[in-house]
Amino acid sequence: MALPTLQHYLAVGAIMFCVGIIGFMTRRNLIVMFLCTELMFQGVAINLIAFGAYHHNLAGQAFVIFVLVIAAAEASLALGLVVLLFRSKNTLDADAWRELRG
Amino acid sequence: MSAPVGRGHPPLRRDGPQGRCETVNMAGFLPAFISHSGLSLAAAPESLGSAPLQLENPLLILVLCVVAGVGTVLLLPARRDVAFRKVGGSLVVAALLIFTALLARSKFSIGMGIYFWIFAAVALGGAVRVITHPRPVYAALYFVLTVFASAGLFVLLDAEFMAAALVLIYAGAILITYVFVIMLASEARSPEATASHVADYDTTSREPIVAATVGFALMGVLLFVIFDRGHELTVPPQITTDNTEINNTQGATQKLGVYLFQHQSVNLELAGLLLTVSMVGAIVIARKKVLVVELPHGRPPVTVAPATPIDDNPYSIPVFGTDNPRQKAYPET
Repeated sequence: MALPTLQHYLAVGAIMFCVGIIGFMTRRNLIVMFLCTELMFQGVAINLIAFGAYHHNLAGQAFVIFVLVIAAAEASLALGLVVLLFRSKNTLDADAWRELRG
Repeated sequence: MSAPVGRGHPPLRRDGPQGRCETVNMAGFLPAFISHSGLSLAAAPESLGSAPLQLENPLLILVLCVVAGVGTVLLLPARRDVAFRKVGGSLVVAALLIFTALLARSKFSIGMGIYFWIFAAVALGGAVRVITHPRPVYAALYFVLTVFASAGLFVLLDAEFMAAALVLIYAGAILITYVFVIMLASEARSPEATASHVADYDTTSREPIVAATVGFALMGVLLFVIFDRGHELTVPPQITTDNTEINNTQGATQKLGVYLFQHQSVNLELAGLLLTVSMVGAIVIARKKVLVVELPHGRPPVTVAPATPIDDNPYSIPVFGTDNPRQKAYPET
């Protein structure tokens, strides 16, 4: 077994970010789409923590705190919007809002 | 406040005797800690900065990404046979295993990093299940699994406070909100639908081939850059935060707190402000409009006596010449 280096953690973060992107593009449920953005946040957070440990300073962890703040704010606003959209069309399908494409 | 760069142990190092304080007790069982403290005895100066690994054939990463992409397309929710999904799942697992074996072979040492592999496998498997599970509640629960595994990775990286905060905030707060909204939004389903009913937009996916191509192309390029140019990630010099008070405090969490309030205090206040603003915004967005019932047109407006009339029934009989403010006067004004 190899000892994990910085590159291993970066690889995990990159894979998780890309999985989140794929999910955001393919899923049609609005709630699952926002879950996929949370996956992307996770990948970025792993990258930041790994770089912080690599450089032996605390900037990475401080950044992750702000990432968590942004994620919490985004989740509250996005879920409020989802509830609003669900009320007006009675479905969670993102394709129900096709006319917004312009 | 800019003291010269301390030559003491940097804040995340655990090899000094005073760095091994009470917060380390939990991490003492973990092999990462052993490796962190043991590596200072070995030739490599630090675990994360030790000799970057090189793949002999980085093109193999791209091939693996293509295989995993085909597997993901088969695994995405669609009206297909279960056999196709099993084939897709096995393709993804096989690609992940080959990639792991490639990484593990390129740099061999005694099984120190077993926890990393377990946590990474659980996190990535949970992530794949989040985007492929047709039912949103299960997707949210798999995301909780991913969050726990990421917290394990954070512990391995000496970020115990961030691991705890991740579990508290993500698994405790955000995911509960998600589950609440999922239940709230699927409550208005037609009554004859059974509990195992899955909505139509959950069983089909939108442009799976294009999305998987784009996503796995990005993943391939990222992994290629990470592993091909990784040798340029040389071991950095001893970068410490430029304050000696941080080094005097004990424990990783205390160091993080001191760092936050000494160097990032404005950002911290901005984060609090942002949270407040988003809370107000969420309330305003999700608020239901209160309907004001208006009286039908044509009926004369009913005036009741001032000062909290008891008799506000518009159909009650007005009383002639009354002084009681709780009654209606007869000639209604």
